[in-house]
Order: sequence, then C-alpha cells, then structure tokens
Amino acid sequence: MAGAAQAAPGRTAVLRKFRLGNLLFLNLTRAAAVLVLVLLGGVMLALIEGASPALREFGFGFITSQSWNPVTEKFGALAPVYGTIVTSLIAMLIAVPVGLGIAIFLTELCPTPLRRPIGIAIELLAGIPSIIYGIWGLFVFAPFLQTTVQPFLISVFGPIPLLNAVFAGPPYGIGILTAGLILAIMVLPFITSIARDVFSTVPPVLKEAAYGIGCTRWEVVKNVVLPFTRVGVIGGVMLGLGRALGETMAVTFVIGNAHKISASILAPGTTISATIANEFTEAVGDIYTSSLIALGLLLFVITFIVLAIARYMLLRLEMKGGK
Amino acid sequence: MNMTVAQSAAVSSARPTQPAGAKRQMPHVPENANEKISVRNLKFYYGDTLALKGISLPLYERKVTAFIGPSGCGKSTLLRILNRMYDLYPGQRADGEVLLDGENILSPKQDKNLLRSRVGMVFQKPTPFPMTIYDNIAFGVRLYEKLSKAEMDERVESSLRRAALWNEVKDKLHASGQSLSGGQQQRLCIARTVAIKPEVILLDEPCSALDPISTAKIEELIDELKAEYTIAIVTHNMQQAARCSEYTAFMYLGELVEFDETSRIFTTPSDQRTQDYITGRFG
Amino acid sequence: MSNANPFYGRRKSRSNLMMGLCMAASLFGLAWLVLILAALIWNGFSGLSLDVFTQNTPPPGSAGGLLNAIIGSLIMTVLGVVIGTPIGILAGTYMAEYGAHGKLSLVVRFINDILLSAPSIVIGLFVYEVMVVRMGHFSGFAGAVALSIIVIPVVVRTTEDMLNLVPNQLREAASALGMPRHLVIRRIAYRAARAGMVTGVLLAIARVSGETAPLLFTALNNQFGGANLNGPMASLPVVIFQFALSPYKDWQQLAWTGALIITLSVLTLSILARVIASRSRQ
Repeated sequence: MAGAAQAAPGRTAVLRKFRLGNLLFLNLTRAAAVLVLVLLGGVMLALIEGASPALREFGFGFITSQSWNPVTEKFGALAPVYGTIVTSLIAMLIAVPVGLGIAIFLTELCPTPLRRPIGIAIELLAGIPSIIYGIWGLFVFAPFLQTTVQPFLISVFGPIPLLNAVFAGPPYGIGILTAGLILAIMVLPFITSIARDVFSTVPPVLKEAAYGIGCTRWEVVKNVVLPFTRVGVIGGVMLGLGRALGETMAVTFVIGNAHKISASILAPGTTISATIANEFTEAVGDIYTSSLIALGLLLFVITFIVLAIARYMLLRLEMKGGK
Repeated sequence: MNMTVAQSAAVSSARPTQPAGAKRQMPHVPENANEKISVRNLKFYYGDTLALKGISLPLYERKVTAFIGPSGCGKSTLLRILNRMYDLYPGQRADGEVLLDGENILSPKQDKNLLRSRVGMVFQKPTPFPMTIYDNIAFGVRLYEKLSKAEMDERVESSLRRAALWNEVKDKLHASGQSLSGGQQQRLCIARTVAIKPEVILLDEPCSALDPISTAKIEELIDELKAEYTIAIVTHNMQQAARCSEYTAFMYLGELVEFDETSRIFTTPSDQRTQDYITGRFG
Repeated sequence: MSNANPFYGRRKSRSNLMMGLCMAASLFGLAWLVLILAALIWNGFSGLSLDVFTQNTPPPGSAGGLLNAIIGSLIMTVLGVVIGTPIGILAGTYMAEYGAHGKLSLVVRFINDILLSAPSIVIGLFVYEVMVVRMGHFSGFAGAVALSIIVIPVVVRTTEDMLNLVPNQLREAASALGMPRHLVIRRIAYRAARAGMVTGVLLAIARVSGETAPLLFTALNNQFGGANLNGPMASLPVVIFQFALSPYKDWQQLAWTGALIITLSVLTLSILARVIASRSRQ
C-alpha cells in the first residue's frame, strides 16, 4: 500500500511514456503555433524580397508616381492606391450606416422568431465567394447602373459645379463607383454580424434602466447602445475596411482596369489587387513583376495596419465586457 | 502545533462557549488509525492572494474527514491541493508540506499523474466524459493497467456495483454517459474513480447538485467506501458532515479553526466561531 | 396621455423614423442576397447539363463542360484542407490548452486574426515567390499550399474558440484520474469540442472552395485537365474568371454555370456547418 509499492516498475514505465507523450504533444502544438507566426513573417519577407528590385529602382517615387508603363518599364503605384482608397471609401460610406442599421434592427427591433433566419441570411451573404459578386456585378449590376443610375447621376449633378466633375459621364457601367458599390454589398454582412455581436454585449440592465426613465427605442440605441459599444463598432468597421481594401475578384471584374486617376467616379480605374490579378501572370521582365509584388507589399502593409487597429479595438471592448 | 494531545483533551472538556482564538488543533488520536495524509503548515496563494494561512491537520486512513465552513473559507482549495489539481492553472502555488504515506506530494519531483491515480476526486457537478458508460469507466483503468476484455468487463461491473449503479445501467452500458440522470451521473463518476483503485478519494461537494434521494444514495455509498478508502469530503451541508464523517474540520477565512472527531465538533465545539457556524448564526 | 405631450410626440416619431430606417436597411441588405441568388439561378441553370460534368473546358467559341475545373478544384481544396487542418488544430490546441495565458498565444492570436482577414491575393503572391519561382513552374501543389494558408487561420480560430467552450470541470475530472495532459486534450477535450471543430473545418472548406485570387498565379489553369499536381491545374473559380471576361457566349454561359455550382456547394457547406453547430449546442 505504500507509495513506493504503487510506483512499481510497470507504473514507472507507464508514467515515463505519459511524460514523453505529453512533452511530444506540447511541442508539436507549440511548433504549429509558431508556424502561424512564421507564416506571417514569411509572407512579409517574401514580399519584401520580391519587391526590392522595383523599390530600389523607383525608391519613394513608386508611391507618388502615376505612370504605369510596361514598355518603358516605369511603374508607380499612385493610380491603384487611389483606386483602392476611393472604392473602399465609397463602400464604407454605404455599408457602415446600412450595416449598423441592420444590426440595430436585429438586436432591438426584430421579432424573436425572425432574428435567427435573418441573421443566418446575412451570414450566408458573407459566405458567398467574391468571384460570384464579380460575375454578377459584371453581367447584371454594371449594365443596370449604366442604363439607369449613372445617366441619372450625370444629369442631376451636371449643372452643379465641382460635383459635375465627380459625376462626369459617359456612363460606362463599370468603373470606380460600380466597384465601390459591389464592395459595399460584400462588406455589409461583415459589418452587420460584428456590430450585432458587439451590440449584444450591452448588459440588458443598462438598456432597461434607460427604458425605465422613459427613453424611446432610438434614444436607447443612441445614448446607451452606441456609446457603450463605440470601440467595438469602430473595430468592426475597420475590419470591414480591411476586407474592402484587400478584396480582389469582385473588384477586378467591374473596375475597368485603367491606370489613371480620374476626377469622375464613373470613370474606369484600378485598385492594387485588381492590377495584380490582371497583370501578374502576363508580366514580362523582372521590374514589371517586382513592381506588382511591391504593390502587393503595399496592400499588405495597409491592410495590416487597418486590421491591427480593428483587432485592438475589438480586444478593448472584449476586456471591458470581461470585467 | 503548540498544543499537546493532553492539552487539547483538556480544552475539549471545557464548555463550548469559550473565547474565540483558543484553538484546539489536535483531536484525540484514535487507536489503530494511521495518518494517511498529513498536512503541515500549508499555505496557498492565488497569485498574490493568500488563500490558506498555514493549515495543519491529519487525514486518517480509512476514515471520512469532512471539511465544513462558509463559502470562500478555503475548504475546496485545500481539497484541490491534495491531488495537486491547482497545478492545471498558472499563478496558483502551495507552500508547506502535504505528506502522503510520508512522502511530500508538493515536491517538484512528485509525478502528478501518479499522484492523481492514487488520490481520486469527485467533483461538485457530475462530469461524465462524452463517451459510453462502459468507456467512462474503462478509460481511466486502461491508462495504468492492461486488462483483458473479460477482466475489464469484470472491473467495470464491480465498480458500478460499488457505486450502486449496476442495476440501473447494466442493460445500457453502451449508452452515452451523458444520457443518465444527474444522480446517476454522479455515481458513474464515483464508479470511475473507484475503478482505478485509488487509496484516497476526495469528494468536492458531491451532492450539492443532486436531489435528496440521490444524495441519500451517495451518502450510503460513502459509508460503504470508507472500509477501503481514506475519504475527504467538502460539504456545505452540516447534516451531511454529521451523518457521514468521523472527523470534521471547520475552516474560516483560510484558517483551520477546529479539527476534531465529528461527534465532538457537533456537540461540544471548542471555538465560538464553530459554534456559531453549526448553529447557523452565520455562513 | 402621452399624445398630449408634443415634446414626447416628437421624440416618439423621431424614434419611429430611425427604427423604420433600420428596418429598411435590413430589407435592403436582404434584397441583395435575393437578387444575386436569382441571377445565379436564372443564368446558371439554363447551362446546367450532363456535359458540364463530363467534358473538359472547351476552346474558344465551342461548347464543353467544366470537368477538369471541377476535378482540379476538388483536388486542390481537399489537399489544402488536409494540409491546413492539422496545423490549424494543433496551433489552436496550443493556444487554448497549453499556452492559454502565455505570451506566445497572445501574439499568435493577434497574428492569426490578421491572417484571417488578410487579402488572399497576397497569399497568392507569397506562394508564387516561395514555390512557383523555386520550382520553376506553376503547379496544383502550389495552389493547394496557397489554399492551406487560408484554411489555417480559420481552423485555428474555431479550434481555440471551441476548446475554450469545453468546461474546465471535464478537464479536471479527467486529470483527477491520473490522465496526462495530452490525453486529456486528445481524448476528452477534442471529443467534447468535436462538433464545433468540424464546423470550423466545413467553414474553412466553404471559404477556400470559392477562392480565386490565391490560385491565379500558383495553380494557374489547365485547359486539358489531368490530375498532375506537379503541373498547372484548372479550378472552377479561375475558369469562371477567365471565361466571364472573355467575349465568347459559350464561355460566359459556362462561367455562370460554374458560379452556380460554387455558390450552391458553398451555401450547402455553410448551412451544414450551422446545423452541426446548433445540434451540438443542444
């Protein structure tokens, strides 16, 4: 019965096997975790390595130059960067209010039996591959814009100075605006589902207290829900922005792939990801390829910063909720 | 431990309403009872918080020792040190000595898996594993023993019989363990613990989630198990402590206020706080 | 009585207006789902025939099917998931079990979340640099690796989340039997978290089966099919991309049909994942 008797030779062997097995599994899982880090580091390094010929050639001018000429091998990222930012801004301008609206509807207004199905439908919208948005945008949405919305915009804003430049024709159908709108539809579900999750972290007591002093629904949302979740909402919006900035296929179909910066948002343009997708396999010459990889690096750095801010914000809300 | 046995015996004969602070730490040493576990000046920290402030007490072999006290007094913490369950969590640390058959289990050299196979534990909520009733029991046995199919069947049956569950489950050994009722699940957990033949069984409020009938069954079971095992039970329920233990430790705010034979704790406690607690004046 | 108070009335109608706008936003959001699905079904179904599944992609201007693209997609998706899932599960296990409070987990969690939403085209560039350039040619294997890099963060995230949902009591109960930590994880925690982890893998499959960008310059395309992982390989998304942007009617039709096939499989996977997840919650 004594301890020494229990740790008999048979048991000692078993215990050694256990210790070894645990050590092995611990290190296996740790190695996998480290691999995730290595992957990100690897992506960064590979991009920097691939981009270095172009960056050495053009230096800082790579970001400020608008020329994109495979013949003279002069490349600058300004047009795609501009396109990326403008399409993403258009997308956020539409998707943020609509996405928050849907989230408010789902958490505050929606009858309970409808809550789940609508939530699921929104999430399914998030699951549709971006190439589907692209093909739909190209064949259905762009022609629709070309024949109805765009002529309307041109005629309405035509007489107004400044704005007539932003909405200058002709209506191509495809272009910056179309890409922005498609992106809006794509990021909408992301913003909605994060905002919904974030809204549901508001302690019911807080809301009840506000209703208790006679607040209307909207006043509760405006004065309790939104202030309480502000950090998380911003995080969700940034996450959506990260998506919009990096989205490739949906944009590539409808942006028009023109390496120029136009004042009009109806004109074709390009984004970083669309440029890479369109030209990478056809790029000849080291500088051309390297410039495209440099674009990729630029995109990665931009999205990394945006996503890092987003995660930081969401983490802050999480910690607040945890307390 | 600054009191001799003679002193504590003298104190225990005094009236129960003596001033608080006059602690009596040593009970009568029973004849032919071994100290299976000796806790000596045990301190426990959750991070920087001192949760146990130097506890010393024995657990006698093949006896039931109950730990009572208000929530947060450290009784569950103490129990979780005896099989080093606290080791699963970072930032928790124990100081002092806990001797199991004379060997300090707090020593870094102690193999925790071996320790836990010798010191079994049953938890507050029933925790059947997500597998069949049979496997719930066979699983732990297979860890340390290689048994033939027939031997394993025999072990499963005998463990279930010991836990007074055999008759209820013998026809559905391959149903999920989670399909049983709460009381049955708890008895399954006891069977699982008994099956690996530990020397000590720790019960952490084993009945607090159960109905009165299941509670009665488990208490009966404890009474039978003590013929073979050293048992420590944490309970909120003083009647339970009185019914099924030979020794009782009353803890309060991380200190051991009183440790004695159960009958004396409940009839002639020497500390005012014990008196207050068992008469329901606080806690 | 409240109607008697004009101030309250104004507040009330303002609230109703805003709530009405929120409801309109929801209808607006759902309308897109309906519109996109309707267009897909309308355009995709008309091209759906047995040929789609039995013939390879045609040369310009003639009819054919999507067989090589479907096979290529299946091979690369399966391989990508087979490579990515174990790595993801192991990393998620480390973060939830062994190193839950450690610095490494904190950093990996952050990086993983970044990878989760990083632009997939960048992953394509990375694999191009590391594999295609080194090997000297495009290959289905490179495509599968690119997809696996997309699978990993999804699986890491769900594994960690699901293991965190396993009650600690279960782990304690297993440890109390003298079970070593690795067996507690593999035999008990995994078993308890199984449904959630399967959901995660399904969602990862759904995610990669529509991915185009990372395949464009890793697997490229292959008109003639074949399951040679060492050479260029066709895939549904890439074929859709090329055919949709082509001027040929037959190709455009095939693109629509391919889009329908992808969407239906992705939706099926997502719904299946949800069903499994909600079953396990009961």
